[in-house]
Amino acid sequence: MWKWIQAFASPKIFYSISAKIIPWLLYPFIIITLVGLYWGLIIAPADYQQGESYRIMYVHVPAAWMSMFIYVVMAISGGIGLIWQIKLANIVAKVSAPIGASFTLLALITGAVWGKPMWGTWWVWDARLTSELILLFLYLAYISLNNAFDNPKTAAKASSILAIVGLVNIPIIHYSVTWWNTLHQGASVSSIEKITQPAIHSDMLMPLLLMGIAFKLLYGTLMLMRARDEVLIQEQNSGWVKKIIIMEEGR
Amino acid sequence: MTLAEYFSFLPYGKYAFYIWFSYLTTFVVIAVLFIRTKSIHKNIIKQLRLKYSRN
Repeated sequence: MWKWIQAFASPKIFYSISAKIIPWLLYPFIIITLVGLYWGLIIAPADYQQGESYRIMYVHVPAAWMSMFIYVVMAISGGIGLIWQIKLANIVAKVSAPIGASFTLLALITGAVWGKPMWGTWWVWDARLTSELILLFLYLAYISLNNAFDNPKTAAKASSILAIVGLVNIPIIHYSVTWWNTLHQGASVSSIEKITQPAIHSDMLMPLLLMGIAFKLLYGTLMLMRARDEVLIQEQNSGWVKKIIIMEEGR
Repeated sequence: MTLAEYFSFLPYGKYAFYIWFSYLTTFVVIAVLFIRTKSIHKNIIKQLRLKYSRN
């Protein structure tokens, strides 16, 4: 297993394997998104309390899930990079940050748009919304810190420490609706138990899960595409990169 | 007439503006992520090609 990880962590092998993986993520993303949207926007019935407005959930909730998921991936990769000095782990953390920031921004915007008709206001300083906003600031701080150094090793070290420290915000976001009295509703899908005995109807739950899978595939696609480019930059003095660039020129 | 009322001819009635705005924003964010990724790739290839042609 360790040998396999070491082999895959080699930039050259990662570059060639990731090219084969990307289509396996991209095309299922497109198909699952189309099915999820059709199910969520057309088949799923209106909610008895929120009416049609709850359909925002199919983009808001997966975006919020991804904002936290990507941050955890970023912090773990940063930690691996710090401890084992694996270049590829630092690359994964670096390229994940702008994608995670985009999902966080999306969760905040769609949340505000959902909040207006339901709560009568675009924004309230409640625990869930505020901690999610802090997450966006953490992403932006990570990106700024990573770009502040010319040496990629120093940049990775400093930004990884920030990512690991910021990890404390993730349980705060997740449990904010339980720990404090918030305007934001509680989780409908947060554990296996809640998936098997959900608080929402299966016709509403299925498109949500599909969109959750689709967003994960989207992240996988974008992360691999960006990681490949970062590998090219960091390995630009290697012979194999030169070969690839010459081959690209020939196309 | 509020913005929400103006868009009420779309499916989902008085919530049409909020729902379609959310989906449009999502589409734009995803499109920007893909376009930016492609443009980064193009720039890197261009930069490296220039570097290797100089050497």
